[in-house]
Amino acid sequence: MLKLATERQDYFVLSRKAKRLSLPDGPEFRVALMGDVSTQHLAPLLQVLITDSGLRPVLYEAGFDTVELEALNPDSALYAFTPQLIVILQGTYKLRAAYCDYPGDRRQFASDRAAAIEATWKAIRSRTGAPILQSTFVLPYERPFGNYGLLMSDTLHGAVTELNQQIHRRARANEGVLLNDVDYLAAWHGRSQFIDEKLWALSKSLCSLQALPDVAQNIVDIGLACQGRAVKCVVLDLDNTLWGGVIGDDGIDGIELGDSDSSGAFRAFQQYLRELNRRGILLAVCSKNDEAVARHAFREHPGMVLKDEDISVFVANWEDKASNIRRIRDKLNIGLDSMVFLDDNPFERNLVRELLPEVLVPELPEDPALYVRAVSELNLFESASYSTLDAERSGKYRQQELRDQERTQFTDLDGYLTSLETRARVARFERSDLQRIAQLLQRSNQFNLTTRRHPEAECASMMQDDERCFPFTTTVRDRFGDFGLINVVILRHADSVVEIDTFVMSCRVLQRGVEQLAMNKVFRYAADVGARYVVGRYIPTAKNGMVRDFFERFGFDVWSDDSNEGIAYRLEVERYHPRRVHIAEVASFN
Amino acid sequence: MSTAEIHARLTQVMREHFESPLLVVDASTTAEQVEGWDSVAHVGLIVAVEKAFGVRFTTKEVKSLDTVGDLLALLERRSA
Repeated sequence: MLKLATERQDYFVLSRKAKRLSLPDGPEFRVALMGDVSTQHLAPLLQVLITDSGLRPVLYEAGFDTVELEALNPDSALYAFTPQLIVILQGTYKLRAAYCDYPGDRRQFASDRAAAIEATWKAIRSRTGAPILQSTFVLPYERPFGNYGLLMSDTLHGAVTELNQQIHRRARANEGVLLNDVDYLAAWHGRSQFIDEKLWALSKSLCSLQALPDVAQNIVDIGLACQGRAVKCVVLDLDNTLWGGVIGDDGIDGIELGDSDSSGAFRAFQQYLRELNRRGILLAVCSKNDEAVARHAFREHPGMVLKDEDISVFVANWEDKASNIRRIRDKLNIGLDSMVFLDDNPFERNLVRELLPEVLVPELPEDPALYVRAVSELNLFESASYSTLDAERSGKYRQQELRDQERTQFTDLDGYLTSLETRARVARFERSDLQRIAQLLQRSNQFNLTTRRHPEAECASMMQDDERCFPFTTTVRDRFGDFGLINVVILRHADSVVEIDTFVMSCRVLQRGVEQLAMNKVFRYAADVGARYVVGRYIPTAKNGMVRDFFERFGFDVWSDDSNEGIAYRLEVERYHPRRVHIAEVASFN
Repeated sequence: MSTAEIHARLTQVMREHFESPLLVVDASTTAEQVEGWDSVAHVGLIVAVEKAFGVRFTTKEVKSLDTVGDLLALLERRSA
């Protein structure tokens, strides 16, 4: 389980902890650190924070200011290290010197620098699939023109501003490049607290020791997102969390929720939550209330920013909140560790922490005016990728509610499945789908037989390998809506054997026959290439218990192969009986 | 603050910083004699000492420190 931090920590506490750190047995997280600042103060903090998150840190610290050397040399220690994340940290100190000595037209400085940085990314990406985490540059504080400098075209401040913008733009255009917004952190701390000239002079430190834990945490947050860690749902209390007062006592007209001074805070918090929802984070309600009374506020109160339809699951009753959060989890089919619980009541927070330790439960301040700040400061919603599908996610759960309602009208499953008019498109990997494919491989934990997190670049090379690979996807629609691309299967074949390297499915489409459809495809392919066997493997993790008997259900037998990774299965192609599915296969959805 | 007080306070800061509750230092103690006092811990120690004594050293002062005695002398000058 990868755990996000719910509090910020002190440099001295962390560096002492680093000295007596015992590394966990969990999976490794290999991080390479390079830059034109030193990493010696940062590395111990990363060791602790990565360990706290449940991974086993393995760090490589490149020599001071050797980014280009490491990047351009195919035999460099960087590549030999086989990193899973490459962190490039660059300070404004060296940049300032380069700017002051720049021989040409200083207006070209930012583009020059940005082009050089991009060239380094490309060199790295041509040699490894590991994502690059590029820092932004901290804006300098000196102003030779005073405020008038903003009106000038060739100041250091202007050059760094433009350089950062160019880095944003170029990162968008370069796959596998993520940004570590160090300038944001500096602004948050205050540049005067963040920038530490003495520490730079003494040990080439990027920033003050006081600010360093935040830089480390930022790197770990992004690193965890790359490893598939994502918050998917925010579970919300109602009374004194979304509005002021207790609706059961105060009534719909009595709760605080409007533009007046005291309650602007609740509206601001709701607006923040609605932005999260638009970005694809699901919202659920978990409240001790009468459901009808609680829903009434969502429908009727003019001050409510969040509406009924923004809430994917609404639970209001008098049972304990831990049971209700489990209920929400079951309904959404997500892991408890992808849920955040926000409640003003310390008793409820502690109860949930106690009974459901996987759920993230941040402290909420007493003053609702500080809710947005408290949640935002924790940076819980970091992401390593984004697609429009993310934004559509909450709509999909709403469609599911409608399907569930429909289901109650049918007494037999076949009749129900037929009524859904499900259509599926099965296709070899296509370039336009690669991002979504990689995302599904990164994020799926439950319906995932081998949990092999092939990065996007590797998916692209498998896509092109017609000889030995058949990687395919299934995209599904039904009468109620579009599920999108929800299944990825990667087959490799050699001699008489087709091997299922990866079989991943989104839990949104369980029990719809998609896995049967995909397995039929696997065996059709095996027959087409003249294979005798299809082999597969189940590699157990803490989360994929739901597919424990996956191969057995399709008639595979356990057999032993050379590898001792998980359990190997095999089935003769001739002995497979194609499964009947209530899904029409289509060539396109037009 | 007297010399003895500065010494006692500094000892306390160093004990905490190096997690060594019984650490004893005198003016002749050097970094090599204290477990864990490497270049990374040195910078941390300076920041911790500055915080504890409410002073800021110059870069040059920090660079010129070789022994605990140097640090004590510096603190004495600052709190004079």
